[in-house]
Amino acid sequence: MDKTDSGRFLELREVNKTFNLPSGEVTALEYISLTINRGELVALVGPSGSGKTTLLNIIGALDRPSKGEVVLEGTRIDTLSEEDLVHFRREKFSFIFQDAKPLRMLNVLENTLLPFNFFKPKNRIGNIKSEGIEIIKSLGLGHRLYHMPSQLSGGEIQRVAIARALITHPAMILADEPTANLDRGNRLFVIDTFHRLSKEKGIAIVFSTHDLEIANRADRIVHLKDGVFLKDEALACPPCKVA
Amino acid sequence: MKQLIVLAIKDILRRKGKSLYLLLAIVIPVAILSTILLTFDNADSSLSDLASKFGFTLIIQPKNVRIDKINQIGVNTAEYIPMGMVGEVEKIVCAIIHNPKDKIITVVRLYIEEGIFIGKSKVDSVVAGVDFKTELAAKPSWALTEGRWPTGEREAVLGGTYASSRKISLNDTVTISGTGFTVVGILQNYNSSEDYMIFAPFDEVQKLFDKTGLVSVINIQNISLDKDKKLLRAAIEDINKNIPNVTALSPQQFSTMKYTLLKKTLKFLIAIVAATIAVSIFSIFNIVTSVLYSRVKEIGLLKTVGASRSQLLTIFLSEYLTIGMIGGIIGYSMGLFMTYLLDSFLLKLGAGIRLNLLYLLMALLVGVLCSFISSFYPTHRLSKIKITESFRTQWEG
Repeated sequence: MDKTDSGRFLELREVNKTFNLPSGEVTALEYISLTINRGELVALVGPSGSGKTTLLNIIGALDRPSKGEVVLEGTRIDTLSEEDLVHFRREKFSFIFQDAKPLRMLNVLENTLLPFNFFKPKNRIGNIKSEGIEIIKSLGLGHRLYHMPSQLSGGEIQRVAIARALITHPAMILADEPTANLDRGNRLFVIDTFHRLSKEKGIAIVFSTHDLEIANRADRIVHLKDGVFLKDEALACPPCKVA
Repeated sequence: MKQLIVLAIKDILRRKGKSLYLLLAIVIPVAILSTILLTFDNADSSLSDLASKFGFTLIIQPKNVRIDKINQIGVNTAEYIPMGMVGEVEKIVCAIIHNPKDKIITVVRLYIEEGIFIGKSKVDSVVAGVDFKTELAAKPSWALTEGRWPTGEREAVLGGTYASSRKISLNDTVTISGTGFTVVGILQNYNSSEDYMIFAPFDEVQKLFDKTGLVSVINIQNISLDKDKKLLRAAIEDINKNIPNVTALSPQQFSTMKYTLLKKTLKFLIAIVAATIAVSIFSIFNIVTSVLYSRVKEIGLLKTVGASRSQLLTIFLSEYLTIGMIGGIIGYSMGLFMTYLLDSFLLKLGAGIRLNLLYLLMALLVGVLCSFISSFYPTHRLSKIKITESFRTQWEG
């Protein structure tokens, strides 16, 4: 057990990740150390194969590092059992993936409330369904509450994913290429929403992107290349850049 | 749990096409199995009904009556037993029951197959020579729909179906071997071979057909033997051992003997159904595997929103087990319908639709087991997939 500073939410210490492939051992991440604070919006930037997704997976406890430590609020999560990780992820993390489309048999509201099919929310006051409706409305989908995913555009589908990520009140949202395949208007909407959530609700948000226009709206940009940490760039006044 | 099952059912409804394929793969073998079992059950029940309608404890018939010697309505009209055997049979039964107060009723019959003249037309018929008094003592439930029992010579009673199909009424004359018999009574229908016969006094039939001293069958009724199956078995064994050229049977054994061949056929058909079930399991396995691989990203999504492995297994297995149960019920219903069609147009056992709870449970079990066996491995394997792998995969449905 290791106590961290009050603002510090998650810390990666000398994280290394290798994959054993038939062609030989491939190093995806080389000794990455990184700290993510509460309410911080962090962009992971780098070319394809630079290790952005691998790093996101390790931060979100979806994968374990080959070496190094991942510490979340003082607890090493890289050594937890799979069962403990399921509970940990439920409480702390939400994920938004480029490919993770909503379930086709559920409408927008049901997709938003999907996590609560698997666990009961802890310490929640008020009606979960009403809260889901409020979140959907705040994302501009109030008129789509009972629509099925097949009736939604790409931008709307990504908003459903954001609504589903928010309903569990996570401490951190991890988003892998959340703005890929979206038009500029929807890309800006998504990043502005992330910015607002990180500041208003204190959620730490880490997202990967190839798009520098989007990355420049984060608080920090972490540059990666070939699994190696290049630089950690703090942006002076991100909100000023929001269009 | 309830929410997971609701998710599973919604998914079945969304994948209507694939769910229907799965359903079909279960319905077909279950329907075939149900049809076979229900049909054979009907055959067995109707034979047992038939046997019980005779009301006899023991039936003694000539030994080795060949199946081809049994005529269309199921009676032996080719082989005979000397009447002297009746005394020997009674002696053996008496020795076994050890109860002088317990009455033994012996009923003999002589069956002749003959062309009977009804007016000017000749009809192939079975004439049963019977002693009406002893028959009625043994079978109090034997009843007429009209007329009376014969009291004198040259009087006959007709089976209900025989009379109605040939439009014969009371007081009409039927000519048996050149001798006219007046129809004095019409027997109630019992859905047995008796519905198709002509009954005339035993002695007269013996004389007319020159069968004096011969009988076709000796029927014994005795309460002690009815109550105690051990005594009955002992009587059957003793008669078969000590009296040559006869075979003693209980009505149930009689029906069993007649359906031995059919039961062998049943085993063969069930082997075919087992093969169909194996093919069906293989088909379901392929469909489930292809469906699940097309859902790998969905599995990843469910895991990221907090689904545990056991919850995923619950969702997927609920889906396939629900389809298995529905398939079992539909298969059984189709089996009932096919049994009805077979009975109405081909076998004519007169059984109609008989619901059998045991077979319904068996159909459900077969449907659920088929579904479980074929879906467990793919669901178990895919529920183990890592979230990171699920989003990397290129599998698409």
